[in-house]
Amino acid sequence: MSTRLSGPERRQLILKESQKLFAEKGFHGVTIDEIARAVNVSPAILYRHFASKQSLYDAVLRELSSQRESYVEAVVNSDANFEEVLIGMTEVFIRSIDENPNLLRIEMQSLLDGNPATSEFFENRWKSFADYINFSMNERLAYDIADREIKILSASLMFQGMVREALLQKYLQPQDRLIDVSLSELSRELVTLFLRAIGIHETRLAQKEPAASRQTKITPSAS
Amino acid sequence: MSNYDSELDASGLNCPLPILRAKKAIAGLEDGQTLKIIATDPGSVKDFEAFCKQTGNTLLSSGEEGGKFVFMIKKS
Repeated sequence: MSTRLSGPERRQLILKESQKLFAEKGFHGVTIDEIARAVNVSPAILYRHFASKQSLYDAVLRELSSQRESYVEAVVNSDANFEEVLIGMTEVFIRSIDENPNLLRIEMQSLLDGNPATSEFFENRWKSFADYINFSMNERLAYDIADREIKILSASLMFQGMVREALLQKYLQPQDRLIDVSLSELSRELVTLFLRAIGIHETRLAQKEPAASRQTKITPSAS
Repeated sequence: MSNYDSELDASGLNCPLPILRAKKAIAGLEDGQTLKIIATDPGSVKDFEAFCKQTGNTLLSSGEEGGKFVFMIKKS
């Protein structure tokens, strides 16, 4: 090979190529020889950068699970109502997977492997949604409502579940089953359904008032 | 920097909540007044820089104190 890479460059290349392989085949489906071939180095050189396949895998997981998305624009470019911000966040999140579907694949792999990185994927990625839904519902639901905690937790899980399933359908199937749906269309539709389900769809105009004491009712849509 | 007009503790919250709450707190300030924000999300450092750039408010300081991030933003 005529191109000479510096140590850090080679390390980056190893991470990049092994990310692809691990995403496709999982930890057990990939051998060190295979990774070495993909990077065009000998296994000995590879071991100089990473002591074992496990430590390489952990490094790949660490890199992906620490990727955070910025939702500043979702807040700044909207009038900051619950619905608009959630749509903006969902779009940003889906776009991150669209740009690198390995992010989703590796998260699923780590979940099945029981790898500790799973909690990092939550802390750095999903927790934004959990926090945001938690906080917003806490503000809106009356304090004396029955099963308050479980209502809020379920809402948060419901939303994460919807987004995750849409992502699985779109990016992990051999064929994209949502190929005709644009990301912003999808985000908007999921958020609209979610808000209707948790019963705060109609309250977005009343946002400016503190809503802590308002009882949220689930009203069937008029149509 | 210890002078401020309002304080917001966003500890334990992930983006975008610190930003969203800061936006609301700043809306309640007069021009020239200062908001102190405390956050624990490591992404908040970049986020508040971007927030101030996009909203035209002034980021007077951004630092770390005892494992927490502290920001001073002047409404302008």
